[in-house]
Amino acid sequence: MSEEKQKGRNDAVIEISSVSKAFAARAVLKSIDLNVTRSQSVCLCGVNGAGKSTLLRIVAGLLHADAGTVSLNGYSVRGEPEKTKPQLGVISHKSMIYPDLTVSENLSFFANLYGVKGVAGRITELLKDVGLFSYRYDKATVLSRGLLQRLAIARALVHRPQVLLADEPFTGLDAEASKYLVGVFANFIKAGGTIVMTTHNTHTGLQCCDRVVVLDKHRLIFDARTSEIDTAAFTKDYLSYARSRN
Amino acid sequence: MNYFWLSFKAIFFKDIVIELRAKRVLPTMVVLGMLIVWILRISCEAASGSTDIMGPAALWIAFLFAGLLAQERSFTTEQHQDCIYGLLLAPVDVGTIFLAKLLVNIVVLCIFEIIIVPVVLLFFQISPSGRWLDLTIVLLLGNIGISSIGTLFSAIVQFSSSLLSIIVLVILLPMMIPATFALLLLFGAIPEELAGTGALAFVGNFKTAVAYMVVFDAIFAVACWLLFGFVVQE
Amino acid sequence: MRRALFVLTLVIILVSTWMAFTIGEVVPSEANVTVEKNIVYVHVPSAICTALCLVVVLVAGICYLRTGKDQWDRLGAASAEAALVFATVLNVTGSIFARPFWNTWWAPSPRLISSAILWFLCVAYMILRTNIQNPRHRARICAVFGIIAFLDVPMVFVTARLMTDQHIDNVRFETAAQSASFGLSILGIVLLAALLIWLKTDILQSKAKLERDLT
Repeated sequence: MSEEKQKGRNDAVIEISSVSKAFAARAVLKSIDLNVTRSQSVCLCGVNGAGKSTLLRIVAGLLHADAGTVSLNGYSVRGEPEKTKPQLGVISHKSMIYPDLTVSENLSFFANLYGVKGVAGRITELLKDVGLFSYRYDKATVLSRGLLQRLAIARALVHRPQVLLADEPFTGLDAEASKYLVGVFANFIKAGGTIVMTTHNTHTGLQCCDRVVVLDKHRLIFDARTSEIDTAAFTKDYLSYARSRN
Repeated sequence: MNYFWLSFKAIFFKDIVIELRAKRVLPTMVVLGMLIVWILRISCEAASGSTDIMGPAALWIAFLFAGLLAQERSFTTEQHQDCIYGLLLAPVDVGTIFLAKLLVNIVVLCIFEIIIVPVVLLFFQISPSGRWLDLTIVLLLGNIGISSIGTLFSAIVQFSSSLLSIIVLVILLPMMIPATFALLLLFGAIPEELAGTGALAFVGNFKTAVAYMVVFDAIFAVACWLLFGFVVQE
Repeated sequence: MRRALFVLTLVIILVSTWMAFTIGEVVPSEANVTVEKNIVYVHVPSAICTALCLVVVLVAGICYLRTGKDQWDRLGAASAEAALVFATVLNVTGSIFARPFWNTWWAPSPRLISSAILWFLCVAYMILRTNIQNPRHRARICAVFGIIAFLDVPMVFVTARLMTDQHIDNVRFETAAQSASFGLSILGIVLLAALLIWLKTDILQSKAKLERDLT
């Protein structure tokens, strides 16, 4: 193994090694290898059914791979969930927010689940950060899609995770909400966090990520830093490729 | 242990608050229960049937169907916006999730019991003759059996409530027999001296019936708790 | 191999049937009973087979949950279907047997209630299998139900064994020939169950392979 690769492995926050997964004998992922280092933000692209969400769910521990291993900061996701789950925050196009609870009740619930100390103070701090402090006593049902996504972000960050997994986080968001989310991601990276996101919105994805990886036909076919590629040309080529696959 | 209590309490109170605030299921349960009791009372009157036999039957039928409604609800709240994944992503043991939801179902059924039992006693003019503690024990044991099996299967048949009814009712069949006989003995429909003889051979006496229910509940509560992890995790 | 099993099963069933009507004929306790007494050669083996098939469903369910391999799900499904067949035979032959002896088609005795509950459990399993479309979801639900349903079986049999019951033994096996024909009929029907499960598992496997090849 090259020195650079060995160094990369040692700095890796997320190590995905030879991960394969099939559903009812239909392969979804075949021998995926991917290392993500600290403060890196990875945009995982692929057409529908490429396996992006499946890979993310395996990293999050919601799904078990048929083969291979996934580890987070050296801890096995499958074997040591009590060590890996506190390190992870997940945002998806579904908010995972209870509509009948108020904004602060939702956050309080998740804070207690993660064993956060000083729950009241943490919730106040988070709600002020995401601009929902004035809505703290309102039920989650009254929030618009954009505000609900902010609450989902607060939920994902309540326990101060080191890794953020985002599955199609820009789905259903208007330009302003998308811009806000991009800002959140940037702040997370600046604070030393690591992000892996999947998105169909390649343009926005490339804006917030410093690395782009493409999944196709169950394998990783492209992996490069965004600084090393022409993002506009990549977006154009990717879109026409996606159209041809559909 | 502290972490178990923290997460158990969080899930329990979350579900209780949601149910009491949304009032989605309890009113329906009460209406359904009243309807069942009312129809059986009218049939009893029309056919000159014995009220102390029909009363226990009305109670368990109302209990079973109301129980099904309660259990369907327990995972409906988690379906919305993939909330179940929010629970599974947290470092919470799945057994804790099961126990918290089981207790919620038991509490909801207890609230239903508090409303429906006086209605049955009044409508059917029956009384446990001072054996209120025995009545509470029998109803609580039935509650635990229904809730254990219902909580497990409500997690896996989230999208098909009719399947939940089939599973829960069939599996509860063995428990329903001694449970019914226990109430029949309590309400005096079967004199104690006849228990365990002839056609009542199936249940020896009140203590045997209760013992059977205790064993049933213990076995199924533990089995459902152990199997719950396989059900919610892929 | 399967053909050999089929021939063996057929031979044993034919021999036990011949013995049941000739040298192994049992003596009923009621004078008016003639042909119905021979139902014991089908009724009791069916009860044994139903229980054995449910054991296979339990084992298959546990193995599926541990390994996630589809062959265990197919084995569980085939065994449950065989259990349903034998549970139906058990209940129907029980009713035919009950009529001349107890003057009723069915009575709420523990053993009869147990048989009915077993039948309901098998029916519930088959309803689950046919109503759930997603194969993984279906396999998991059926595995869990199979385990829970199996736990119901001893609950049912405990009450049957501990309580007094009007289902008393109404036939007697006094000679070696009677016992031999009874033993042979049990063996024949158990082998028939094994054959049915084998056939059904193969059918399900071929179906799964076809679906894979078509997609």
